[in-house]
Amino acid sequence: MKLSTKKVAGELATILAEYLKKGWVDTPASKQAITPETNMVSNLQMDSFQVMEFMLEVEDHYDVAIDLESLSNIQTILDLAGVVIAAHSE
Amino acid sequence: MSLFEKFETAKLLKSGLATAGADPTGVVFDTLNSPTEGVVDGRAIILAGTNNYLGLTFNPECIAAGVAALESQGTGTTGSRMANGSYASHGKLEEELADFFQWPHAMVFSTGYAANLGVLTALLGKEDVVLLDSDAHASLYDGCNMSGADIFRFKHNDLQSLERRLTRLKDRANRCLIVIEGMYSVLGDCAPLAEIVALKNRFGAKLLVDEAHSLGVYGEQGRGVAEAQGVLDQVDFIVGTFSKSLGAMGGFCASRHDVLSLFRYVSRPFMFTASPSPAVMATTREALKQLRTRPELRASVWANARQLYGGLKALGLELGPEVGPVVAVRSKDRQTALANWNQLLESGVYVNMMLPPATPGGGSFLRCSISAAHSAGQIQTIIEKFSKL
Repeated sequence: MKLSTKKVAGELATILAEYLKKGWVDTPASKQAITPETNMVSNLQMDSFQVMEFMLEVEDHYDVAIDLESLSNIQTILDLAGVVIAAHSE
Repeated sequence: MSLFEKFETAKLLKSGLATAGADPTGVVFDTLNSPTEGVVDGRAIILAGTNNYLGLTFNPECIAAGVAALESQGTGTTGSRMANGSYASHGKLEEELADFFQWPHAMVFSTGYAANLGVLTALLGKEDVVLLDSDAHASLYDGCNMSGADIFRFKHNDLQSLERRLTRLKDRANRCLIVIEGMYSVLGDCAPLAEIVALKNRFGAKLLVDEAHSLGVYGEQGRGVAEAQGVLDQVDFIVGTFSKSLGAMGGFCASRHDVLSLFRYVSRPFMFTASPSPAVMATTREALKQLRTRPELRASVWANARQLYGGLKALGLELGPEVGPVVAVRSKDRQTALANWNQLLESGVYVNMMLPPATPGGGSFLRCSISAAHSAGQIQTIIEKFSKL
């Protein structure tokens, strides 16, 4: 099944919002609304480790394998959606 | 952005640490009086954060061996083993390590960090895959990154997470190396090694276990967590360090596979680093001998670990999941951890402070490491100081 970027970005925004509610990223910035354009590092102030931990959730949700190297190309939810779709099509 | 602008973040980190008192990354011990006692700013301090698990740093036989090597072989090797040749003690230690693990091969590196870089870059290439525990040490991450292999992380000690990733690899699983630690250094929790071995056997992968913090402490013979869980014979590579339970400096890899004997021809962190000095080899060999012949050292570590864990638990503190030579106390946040760490130091106890992002779950911890050389009285004092936080 082919995934659409818009649909995946929307789902990822929801997954990230749920993830942030667990309290791992506890900054005022982390409580703002998440959109496909949200930058996880500069907007939400997530550090590199927190982004990596979130990736584990994403991998399991979509049952895809995301290489650690891909992380350097991911800043926004849209970036992440692109990586998920690429991994899903492999 | 200029070349130096990226250091602004480090500058902020440095100033933030210093505002709470002493900088935890810059403690200076004026003198060390024993494996468990030092002096900081003129104050006597109990050392409860040095990873000196067997307490051998002041052992008279180890010191005598080091002094004899210094006098007979000089201060350093002045180059790599590939270029300058090996000293007999390098080969002897490798033989003794291989004998200790009852495997055919062992290889010595100049540090534990270099061992992980050296082994992972030799073993892995671009076509290979690593499944790396998410809480693995930075040296394991760095070695995997340097190797060029595809790296996928799995959730810490989570068998289902590992199994899902092995399944996703399909026919690449036989080119996969699973990389874990025996005991994880921040919380002191152990890997479920027997179950991980079963998975790696099922999928045809290989397994590397870093026993840096478990060597000498776990297992009937002190070989580590793999021995303690009865699966050492099915592990493919063990890496470790001489800088903790053996009280020296350096690292090693041991393996049941003949391929390890070829690593020295391809491992750049081995080939292009000065080899360990004769004195370091001598004290390490003596410490390994003591590890093997004095099981009472392990008994002491465990007795002290039980006393500290039990005492801190009775105070109602939130601790790591299991009793062991590392006892981590969770703080409610970063500032509390900093303040408590300073108060402990001022009251005469040195522990490690562990702050995010390099911590499990992004938590802040005061981390104690237990030594066989701690007295029951010292452990009681540490507990009392924690009770006053």
